[in-house]
Amino acid sequence: MQYRHVQAIDGKGGLRGIAVDSHGQLCAAGDSEIKVFDAAGRLARRWPTSRPAHAIAVASDGAVYAGEAGQIEIFDGAGKLLDAWRDEKPLGRVTAIGFTKDSVLAGDATDRAIRRFDRNGRFLNNIGKDNPVNGLLIPNGVVDFGVDAQGVVYAANPGKHRVERYTPGGELLGHMGRFDMLDPAGFTGCCNPTNVAIRDGIYTTEKAGPRVKAYDFSGKLMAVIATNLFDANCKNMSIAVDARGRVYVVDTVKAAILVFEPVKA
Amino acid sequence: MSEDLTRRDLFGTVARGTVLAVLGGGAGFLVKKANGQIVWQVNASRCINSRLGDAGAEACSLCTTECVVALSAVRAVNEYSKCGRCNICPAYFNITSAVNELGQPSEKLCPRDAIVRKAIGKVDPEDPANNFYEYIIDEEKCDGCGKCVMKCKEPLGLGSITLRVRYDRCVNCNYCSILKACPQNALMQLPIEQALEPAQVNRAG
Repeated sequence: MQYRHVQAIDGKGGLRGIAVDSHGQLCAAGDSEIKVFDAAGRLARRWPTSRPAHAIAVASDGAVYAGEAGQIEIFDGAGKLLDAWRDEKPLGRVTAIGFTKDSVLAGDATDRAIRRFDRNGRFLNNIGKDNPVNGLLIPNGVVDFGVDAQGVVYAANPGKHRVERYTPGGELLGHMGRFDMLDPAGFTGCCNPTNVAIRDGIYTTEKAGPRVKAYDFSGKLMAVIATNLFDANCKNMSIAVDARGRVYVVDTVKAAILVFEPVKA
Repeated sequence: MSEDLTRRDLFGTVARGTVLAVLGGGAGFLVKKANGQIVWQVNASRCINSRLGDAGAEACSLCTTECVVALSAVRAVNEYSKCGRCNICPAYFNITSAVNELGQPSEKLCPRDAIVRKAIGKVDPEDPANNFYEYIIDEEKCDGCGKCVMKCKEPLGLGSITLRVRYDRCVNCNYCSILKACPQNALMQLPIEQALEPAQVNRAG
């Protein structure tokens, strides 16, 4: 499979996390605001968050969740604040948010774990915490994960050069990936992949040098989507994939979102 | 000003004052230096091995080749609070060497084998990836070549390793011979209290 670069969207300031909602609308968190882009990549609307936002996710009901230090803020699609879950302990620094059928997941980079809450914000359990190093190995300071249609959680564990699969209850099901500087199927450097997204497969980003790849669910490399289009000093490049297979990746240095689409054979 | 003071007198007074001020400042500097107050230190935000924005560049080894001290007075220092304690540390391993049966690079990076590591915390002997590692630089072996510094800096590493002048080795030349050769002017003189603070690395340009 091959991809082509089709668009670069100006991030209008700082960019951290991105997400695509069920209608294919691109949303971004950065600085202290949420930005929503239209299909042409134009900024459609923006609204402030009370603290700098590190992560964003859009629930199936359209609610926008923003991950911040010590809290998650929940907005409706127009930017009206609906709720805020504040707890410094399980929400030290929220760098990723996702959903299973009945729960909300938050990546807490401070404690190197994924927290699972019910839909009302009540803590249920940790994911990725029960191991000899007491958490995910994230030298870059970002916990990132994706969730598949069955509710399996795919967490980036960059210090182990793996993407690990967990049940929502926190049981480790398996993992894919290995260290390799030469074979593109492997992950390079000290700690990759830094970010992951799930759609019809596993999508990853790496730093030093920046690279975007797609794997099937067995861990077989399907495509190297991009390598040389990003600033060499990029890291923690958030990634999202829409229902049409378009891949969105943040260039953290240029503050832009690069868009790739699959090339039909 | 006195009405009798001529322009020549005024210039003379100013010139004498300036000379005295320069001499006084220089004397003060020498006194301070003699007391060990002013020392040479590597400016990590100028050094090409540690400053950000030079991803993929070759390491500069002028601190090794130009210092008048045997092996160099400049050594690599690992700031533990910044270190990621990674299994595959690009400053410890030659990460482009072949991968061994443990899934790690088969060669080390340091040409003098000056970096040692040990697993820390709850150690998993079965899986090297399941551990944290402490990386210690043997200063008796290190010659400040900068290879590990270049590999440790962001985005590849976390920038915990920098080059530092070691004051028990530096002979504090009036004009540092490394500075003479350094194209980045990356050595500077500063009060020893500041020189002992952790290195600050800023993005270049």
